[in-house]
Amino acid sequence: MEGLFRGNVTEVKVVLASVALALACYQLVLAAVGYRKLRPRFLEPRPAFRTHRASGDTIAVVIVLVAVLCVSYFEIEDDAAFHAVTGAALIAVLGLKVVVIRWWHAASRFLPALGITVFVLLAATWASTAGAFLS
Amino acid sequence: MSAQTRQMIGSLLVAAIIVAVTIIAVTSKLGPTSAAELEQREDRAKERQEQREERLEEREDSGGEGG
Repeated sequence: MEGLFRGNVTEVKVVLASVALALACYQLVLAAVGYRKLRPRFLEPRPAFRTHRASGDTIAVVIVLVAVLCVSYFEIEDDAAFHAVTGAALIAVLGLKVVVIRWWHAASRFLPALGITVFVLLAATWASTAGAFLS
Repeated sequence: MSAQTRQMIGSLLVAAIIVAVTIIAVTSKLGPTSAAELEQREDRAKERQEQREERLEEREDSGGEGG
């Protein structure tokens, strides 16, 4: 892994996690347009939701990649317990959201709550390592 | 091209711009702390040190021959 990233595993992880968080902020705006909480003239709900889905797929891939880097390269230390817990919860809630979107349509009414939970967990996980690394 | 297709392309472009700006901002913040950059610096310093030592040896050799 270290050879692949030329010894910059932490830096690559920080960049990827920051990209995921930035896109997640954009996801909130797109969801607000999709649910008609925001009504800009230049974007209708349908294309907003389509972009929300495409961007969400990208975020999911990035999060899984960062999680793989975390588990395979870094050891779990005592002071990283918060990061480990929020990260694991993020993967679990994200997985549940994907299941609801793809197969469990009866639970669709929970999607906004699941989306906000994913955002909060992602922000907390990012802040506990990447945020500290950048500050 | 319909209005909705245009809107979707536009919103995807915004997402791409967000990704690009984030990568630029974070990498510029990380800057020379990256391991690759530090390694390069170390290599350059080592090279300079070796050259300095070589020059010193050459000077000593030529000084010994002359005196």
